[in-house]
Amino acid sequence: MIKVTDLTRDYGENRGVFGLRFQVQPGEPFGLLGPNGAGKTTLIRHLMGFLRPQKGQCTIFGLDCWKDRKQVQRMVGYIPGEMSLMEGMRGEDYLDFLDRYRGFTGEGYRRLLLDRFPVDLNTPIHKMSKGTKQKLGIIAAFSHKPEVLILDEPTSGLDPLMQKEFVDFIGEEGKKGRVILLSSHIFEEVQRTCRRVGILRQGKLLTQDTVQEMEEKHSRRYVLQVEKGDAQAFARDFGGTILEDGRVEVKKTADLEEIFLRCYRKGEKE
Amino acid sequence: MNKTLFWREMRGSLGLLVIFGGVLTLYILMIAGMYDKETQQALGQFYDMMPQLMAAVGMTGEGGTLLSFLSTYLYGMLLLAFPMVYAILRARGLVARYVEKGSMYALCAAPVSRLSLAGTQLAVLFSTQLGLLLYCTALEIVSCQVLFPGELDIKGLLCLNGGLLCLHLCLGAFCFLVSCLGEGSRYTALMAGVPTLMLVMQMLANLGGKLEKFRYLTLFSLFQPEKLMAGEGMLPAGMLLLLAVLFSALALWGFCHRDLYI
Repeated sequence: MIKVTDLTRDYGENRGVFGLRFQVQPGEPFGLLGPNGAGKTTLIRHLMGFLRPQKGQCTIFGLDCWKDRKQVQRMVGYIPGEMSLMEGMRGEDYLDFLDRYRGFTGEGYRRLLLDRFPVDLNTPIHKMSKGTKQKLGIIAAFSHKPEVLILDEPTSGLDPLMQKEFVDFIGEEGKKGRVILLSSHIFEEVQRTCRRVGILRQGKLLTQDTVQEMEEKHSRRYVLQVEKGDAQAFARDFGGTILEDGRVEVKKTADLEEIFLRCYRKGEKE
Repeated sequence: MNKTLFWREMRGSLGLLVIFGGVLTLYILMIAGMYDKETQQALGQFYDMMPQLMAAVGMTGEGGTLLSFLSTYLYGMLLLAFPMVYAILRARGLVARYVEKGSMYALCAAPVSRLSLAGTQLAVLFSTQLGLLLYCTALEIVSCQVLFPGELDIKGLLCLNGGLLCLHLCLGAFCFLVSCLGEGSRYTALMAGVPTLMLVMQMLANLGGKLEKFRYLTLFSLFQPEKLMAGEGMLPAGMLLLLAVLFSALALWGFCHRDLYI
């Protein structure tokens, strides 16, 4: 599991991350929502051992992400926010190079991933489009069957079909008990893939909860008095619950985007 | 050291090695071919007319033997500047460029320690620098033996090139240190600027007079061709090697402890 304890990185002018504290359990994909500059990438860089925490600690299965980064990396599959691949190679050479570089020899996911995210591996990387590079980056990140997936806006550059395929793939991996942390701007993507969500604003976690509980907390209930005899039909048509005396209770569930905007505005006021 | 990365980077160095090897081949063959009494007299006349300008580019007009002729016209500027430029370009390409472009993420997001990663890149830099100078040495020996059989003091040449290797390893390690510590225009300016400035200082110091004081501000003054050819000058060469080790250790330590925004 991923455990972040009081993680702080202060870049000045309210930029960075401040006292972050949360956990990601296996099989419970965690989505991070936040606008640009909220600290999502900074947090992910700490988890990847690219940045040393100023305060606090991040661990993955008990291993310190900075001190034990070599062991941590063995378990992790990572997609960066901005995909930049090593050039001067064909797609296939790149995947072979990374497997050998990692010392990975087992039967990985490469073939399966290539079926789902087709890429012409004979094309030199510098000739690939942004979307194709993103697909190659996805294949490279997961071909060693990682236990932990750290994904920073993973579907950026992918067409809607590939986005759907990716969401399905992450859903399947979540069901297999993988530890998944996903940062995204796309509410639907988070809603469909993640069981728990955290909302970041200016480096602070405004809220974190399961998607279901969040929806429940931010739902609105209305009790309506309908004409005699219409209660049953009304309840059926609007998904309401019949109360006494011809009253019907209806509930408006908030979607993630609405919840995000509400939390965000509340944070702004505070 | 990571063998996979090492051989990939060695292949990646080939393009630059061919360019620099080609340019140096041209100069080495041209200058070795110039060794005859008539041209020596002509160059001597140049030296008499413009002693300061000739001295600035390391041509002191003391070329008596074939080796001292080569030392005067090759080791004053050409064999200092070209391998230095190679070291600057390659040191930047091996670390800072990857970080700048973001593709370093693939190397760091793998179960390979940063020490092993940076150590491999350093080994690539040193190996290719060694390869370039070995090629130059072989070319000098072969071309001189073909053009002027038996006239070259091979032992003296090996000592001279040994000292040159120490100098370039030291410059390479300095460039690698800067490459490991940061990226962006400021670091690139530092990486390219300091060695270039030191070369300019060496050229100014060669002019003599008051400018000779610049000798104390440049690493190039620790490369002393006259002494090396005579089998001396090992102490300054050793100092260069020591500095190379120090810069390398700092580079590896710095890379292991720095933050990477990738």
